[in-house]
Amino acid sequence: MKLAGLKSIDDAHDESVWAITWVPATEARPALLLTGSLDETVRLWQPDELVNRGKMTGHCLGVASVAAHPLGFIAASASLDSFVRIFDVDSNTTIASFEAPPSEVWQLRFNPQGTMLAAAGGGSASVKVWDTSTWNLVATLSIPRPEGTKPADKSSSKKFVLSVAWSPDGRRIACGSMDGTVSVFDTDRGKFLHHLEGHCMPVRSLVFSPVEPRLLFTGSDDQHVHMYDAEGKTQVGSMSGHNGWVLSVDASTDGAALATGSSDRTVKLWDIGMKAAVQTMSNHNDQVWGVAFRPGGMPGRLASVSDDKSISLYDYS
Amino acid sequence: MPHSEEQDKECELRRLEESIQDRPDDPSLRFELGVLLWEQDEKEKAAEQFVVAAKLNPEIEKGGAFRYLGLYYAGLESQSHAQRALKCLQKAVSLNPDDSVSGEALCDLLDQQGIETLEVAACREASQKSPRAFWAFQRLGYLQLHQNKCSEAVHSLQHAIRGYPTSPVLWEALGLAYQRLGRFTAALKSYGRAIELEGTRIFALIESGNIYLMLGSYKKGVEAFQQALEFSPKSVSAHYGLSSGLLGLAKECINLGAFRWGATVLEEASKVAWTSTHLAGNMSSIWKLHGDILLTYAKCYPWMEEDRGLEFDVGAFNNSILSWKHTCCVAAKTARCSYQRALHLAPWQANAYSDIAVTSNFIYSLDNSSGHDSSSWQPSEKMALGALLLEGDNSEFWVGLGCLSNHNALKQHALIRGLQLNVSLAVAWAFLGKLYRKQGEKQFARQAFDCARSIDPSLALPWAGMSADSHSRESAVDEAYESCLRAVQIFPLAEFQIGLAKLALVSGHLSSSQVFGAIKQAMQRAPHYPECHNLNGLVSEAQSNYQSAAVSYRLARCAITNLSGSDTKSQMKDITVNLARALCKAGNALDALQECELLKKEGLLDAESSQIYAFSLWQLGQTDLALTVARNLAECVSAMEQASAAAAVILFSRFLYYISGLDSTINNILQMPKQRFQSSKFSLIVSAIHALDQRNRLKPVGSSIRNNLKTPEEITEMFFLLALGTLVKHGSEYRLGYQKGIDHIRKSLHMYPNSSLLRNLLGYLLLSSEEWKNTHMATRCCSIGTDPIKGGFKMAYEILGAGAVACYAVGNSNPKFSYPTCSYQCLNEPQTIQHLQKCLRQEPWNQNVRYLLVLNLVQKAREERFPRHLCIILRRLIIVALSDELYHKPGIAFRYMKFQLLLCASEICLHDGYLIDCINHANDASMIRLPDAYLFFAHLLLCRAYASEGDAVNLNREYIRCLELSTDYNIGWLCLKFIESHYELKTGLDTLELSFKECSKEMMNSSNMWMALFNLVQGLMSLSSQDTSSAEGFLSQACSLAGAESTLLLCHGATCMELSRLGYDSQFLSLAVRSLTKAQEASLIPLPIVSALLAQAEGSLGSREKWETNLHLEWPTWPPEMRPAELFFQMHLLAKQSKASTDTSSIEFCQSPQGWVLRAIHTNPSCMRYWKALQKLVE
Repeated sequence: MKLAGLKSIDDAHDESVWAITWVPATEARPALLLTGSLDETVRLWQPDELVNRGKMTGHCLGVASVAAHPLGFIAASASLDSFVRIFDVDSNTTIASFEAPPSEVWQLRFNPQGTMLAAAGGGSASVKVWDTSTWNLVATLSIPRPEGTKPADKSSSKKFVLSVAWSPDGRRIACGSMDGTVSVFDTDRGKFLHHLEGHCMPVRSLVFSPVEPRLLFTGSDDQHVHMYDAEGKTQVGSMSGHNGWVLSVDASTDGAALATGSSDRTVKLWDIGMKAAVQTMSNHNDQVWGVAFRPGGMPGRLASVSDDKSISLYDYS
Repeated sequence: MPHSEEQDKECELRRLEESIQDRPDDPSLRFELGVLLWEQDEKEKAAEQFVVAAKLNPEIEKGGAFRYLGLYYAGLESQSHAQRALKCLQKAVSLNPDDSVSGEALCDLLDQQGIETLEVAACREASQKSPRAFWAFQRLGYLQLHQNKCSEAVHSLQHAIRGYPTSPVLWEALGLAYQRLGRFTAALKSYGRAIELEGTRIFALIESGNIYLMLGSYKKGVEAFQQALEFSPKSVSAHYGLSSGLLGLAKECINLGAFRWGATVLEEASKVAWTSTHLAGNMSSIWKLHGDILLTYAKCYPWMEEDRGLEFDVGAFNNSILSWKHTCCVAAKTARCSYQRALHLAPWQANAYSDIAVTSNFIYSLDNSSGHDSSSWQPSEKMALGALLLEGDNSEFWVGLGCLSNHNALKQHALIRGLQLNVSLAVAWAFLGKLYRKQGEKQFARQAFDCARSIDPSLALPWAGMSADSHSRESAVDEAYESCLRAVQIFPLAEFQIGLAKLALVSGHLSSSQVFGAIKQAMQRAPHYPECHNLNGLVSEAQSNYQSAAVSYRLARCAITNLSGSDTKSQMKDITVNLARALCKAGNALDALQECELLKKEGLLDAESSQIYAFSLWQLGQTDLALTVARNLAECVSAMEQASAAAAVILFSRFLYYISGLDSTINNILQMPKQRFQSSKFSLIVSAIHALDQRNRLKPVGSSIRNNLKTPEEITEMFFLLALGTLVKHGSEYRLGYQKGIDHIRKSLHMYPNSSLLRNLLGYLLLSSEEWKNTHMATRCCSIGTDPIKGGFKMAYEILGAGAVACYAVGNSNPKFSYPTCSYQCLNEPQTIQHLQKCLRQEPWNQNVRYLLVLNLVQKAREERFPRHLCIILRRLIIVALSDELYHKPGIAFRYMKFQLLLCASEICLHDGYLIDCINHANDASMIRLPDAYLFFAHLLLCRAYASEGDAVNLNREYIRCLELSTDYNIGWLCLKFIESHYELKTGLDTLELSFKECSKEMMNSSNMWMALFNLVQGLMSLSSQDTSSAEGFLSQACSLAGAESTLLLCHGATCMELSRLGYDSQFLSLAVRSLTKAQEASLIPLPIVSALLAQAEGSLGSREKWETNLHLEWPTWPPEMRPAELFFQMHLLAKQSKASTDTSSIEFCQSPQGWVLRAIHTNPSCMRYWKALQKLVE
């Protein structure tokens, strides 16, 4: 497997680009890239030439997360003040917007079935789930307080939830916290199942393998990428090679490769079978906040965004 | 319809019969009639017609007559008819080789008679005759496949598929042909096509499953078998395939270390295998598979760590271990039973013996409780011998015996025998190495391991062996760690993993995530080993997870009691020390103390545990006892090694400082021998104490300290402490000596320009000094990199955020809101909000960043005149920030932050018109326990709120309260002064002015500036009370105090012009010119109005040229959307005046004077002057 650079846009945004996701193709158009930035805008790009297809405003602080519905018609974006906007990708009309208390919405993810939207609930130590037909909050999955701590000293036991991921069958949610623990929830029953331990610093990104619902990949500030058996709460692998925080991970559709973006300014491609990095891209000159594989068929595409305001697109084969 | 159809056929029949009677020799008519009759199932009559037709013309319809005849005879079922049928069909085929019906019938007939060679010949002939004889290719392909001529079969089948591309059978056959040829991917594709065409092709499903298993893609294989089982739930081969696929999958999981996952898969596998034993209980291979599955299960079943929380229960722990062992044992025993059944069914299979041998050995290792007599043969050895008796030349059986035997001589013999049979058997070399190591022959061991490793580098044991070996040589710990890591990565065996953790402890890799994962996995497979729990505790401790570390140590202690051994006592002591340390670090001093006392009782208190003992005593408030313990420890320092000696001395010194105070600590340090200062850590402690000491008593030891610090980090830390010392030593009672500190730190920074520690301290000191221009320097001296936020005294982002808020100058560069007049060019301020957001993106949980962001946003809102959207965000941000429990913590810093947030909220409410909220917030703020100087501002805000409400009584009350509280922040007094004059409050002018001067006095460099501002305020107030001449007095004073400050100069100039307009002395006009010219020069970005006024003044003085140039300067100072009507009007004057001039490039010529006036009127239609000018122009 390898990556080959296709196109890079240097000043894609006016400020650091913080979030990226692929909007799946619809009948009318191919898959598009959606990026969110500190410049308070969300922009839409058409690969492979990365033609700007639109600029969406409506946030008053930097956009920390974007997510796209699996059908490709709607997307969501969230800014640092926890303002979430749901909009139609093609017309940019707002479908819904909701406000959580600031610091209580971080990463957003639609479930693969498209019926729910989950948000890493930041300081609320929970994952919030909205129904995508009514946009009502349907569940708040809280991480239980560790035993032995008094309810009074809230702040010490609270886990700031940074990242969230759905398993491909939609039955599990995993979320990563600032203290390095990963929590797994049963979505059908809305129940906390267990923690996955092993990281000792914030887990900023995690993703389930698209082919194996038990397998979870996590990236953390401790510079490691871990593989977990999310059901059996066992760490089954650890991959190191980055010289900075691992800010973003994504798994390829075939489940064979993993891409990571790091504060060491590189994007790495990992062979999951060999548990080793096979390629390092160092075309960014600031920390890489997001990497995303294009969902669906060939040819494979990987996109990355960075604090250097640029977007890069690679061919993955 | 059917009725009429029948009638039609009847008519047709009659018509044909009639035509035959007319022309009896026409073969085609007869053939037609025959077909019609054949269709009506009157085969005999049809045959008659066909016979006649064939006689008349044998080639009719390409031998169609023969085909029907052949089919007719074939249907009659008798030997003679069969021969006739054969001939007819042969004729038909030879006439038309593409005729699949006759071809198939012919082949079927030949097949019935068992004449395969003829069949092949017939097919081949047909296929050679016509490439479209697909039936022939198909037949031929099947026959060739049957005869195992696979490559020919592939050829025929491929050709046949061209004719019948949707035949699943053909695809299946092609798949089989490929599979037999070993072309597995091609086979998979063909089978896949067959399954696609018909989902229930069991054979294709099972065979593709088998291929997947062979290729190692167990998951796909399992899916194929599962699909097969859906259609054929009793298929033995599907069951067998499914369970072996699951076994493969489980082994993959286990190799990753995912024992629980593996176990779940194996449970399913054993269920499937069990079902298949019911379906075909007499197949030994099924029993062997079942045994394999259960043995693997027994070897991977993990010990489940119950969610026991932090409570600890010895009984439950022991029970869980017992039940874990029991489960493993039961599985292994069931496996042995299954192997025995397999052996019973096929006793000639040697590997069944060795399977039983391995399982027996495993069971023995699990419950070693039952004592075995070492002299007699054990079952495992006997069974291994059994295998060897059957196949004496199988080297692997020899290795098996070598592993299972208890007798070293036999072991060695067996292994060497294995190697004689196959010298490149890596496993044998590896076990030989292990044997030699056990016997202490390290040289041999290393050679054997080397051999094994070079033959097969993917074998875990030699790597582990090498690491165990090099562990004895102290030099190569890292190397050992690496090779042990290799072993663990190849095969996650608990013993290897424990070894890895041990090596990590020695080589300092304990916090590595590989070690963490390894020890967690080891815990699942070796919960009965105390060192496993102990190492797990150490790993948790390395990750600062002290509570779970403590739990692990307790488990370790519990496991050790179940173990009988010689050196349990020293192990117990080590674990207890670990436990005490973890408890202490977790903040559980009471329990730590108990553990230490336990050690003390047994007389096992060593240097480390004494430290913990002293520390926990101190934490529990038993200071005297703590001090005694620490002193005792410090006294026996000479007997300790250097590191722990330094630690002891440091501990003692710190206790002394905390408990007995500065003086006794200094005395103690002065008495210490010089070599103590060799420890850099201790040196830093001494420096810290020195920094606190006003009397410089530690000066004599200072030089020896400085020589001991080597690394740049230590030296910068030392400079840091020295700078802090300067602050303390040069400060007064209320105020630290900031200026001296700044000077000192500047010098140090000159030496270490990269040290962020020093940089941030400098920034902090500059900010704290509250001097006029230092805020700009503060933000400039701190660099915010893209690196993750690093620790230190004050972070760079804090300095930046606070500096941006503290700057009194307007940082906004957008002229829509205001004009930057700051002469220090603090250009990075607009970036601050972005920087803070970046910090927040990195550390979203950081309340400090949030707080600074709020303050900066409030500042931005102020500059932009409180735009609506910003106010909305701010209100939300502040409300949430206030609800944070952080601000309920004790400590003045938190109270101050809460106070500031409340004030921000209040101010925003004030501007949004929510006066009640505003007053409430401000009242809340005024209740917070803070120094009066801060509370002043809460009341100031209340003054503003009541003023805008028009509540004079309350306003007056708050005003008085402000005067009472008083503040040492000049800006507060200035604001109060404004309020006082604006609302004509009872004058407390004297007190106010006095207090203002009082608090300006403390400032050295900026007191002039503040006085200038005070004069400005007074001037502005005089202006508003129409007292222009005294205003001029104040303003000219302000200008002389402040130097070149463009805004003040502008004010003064404008006032002077006003005076001259009012008919005062004409000298004011020249004063105005002077001030305005200065203002023009001083401002960084050209200020509007200045040039216009200057032009007017110059014009009044009679200089038309200067009037023109200045008016020219005025135009570009205005942003396009804000140009006032007067500007257009002035431009009209300019255009009118310079009509004659040839220079047409100037701006005024872009429009006619009339155009300019029109624009002016358009902007402000209410001014009569413009209309008049227009009238004049039109006339």
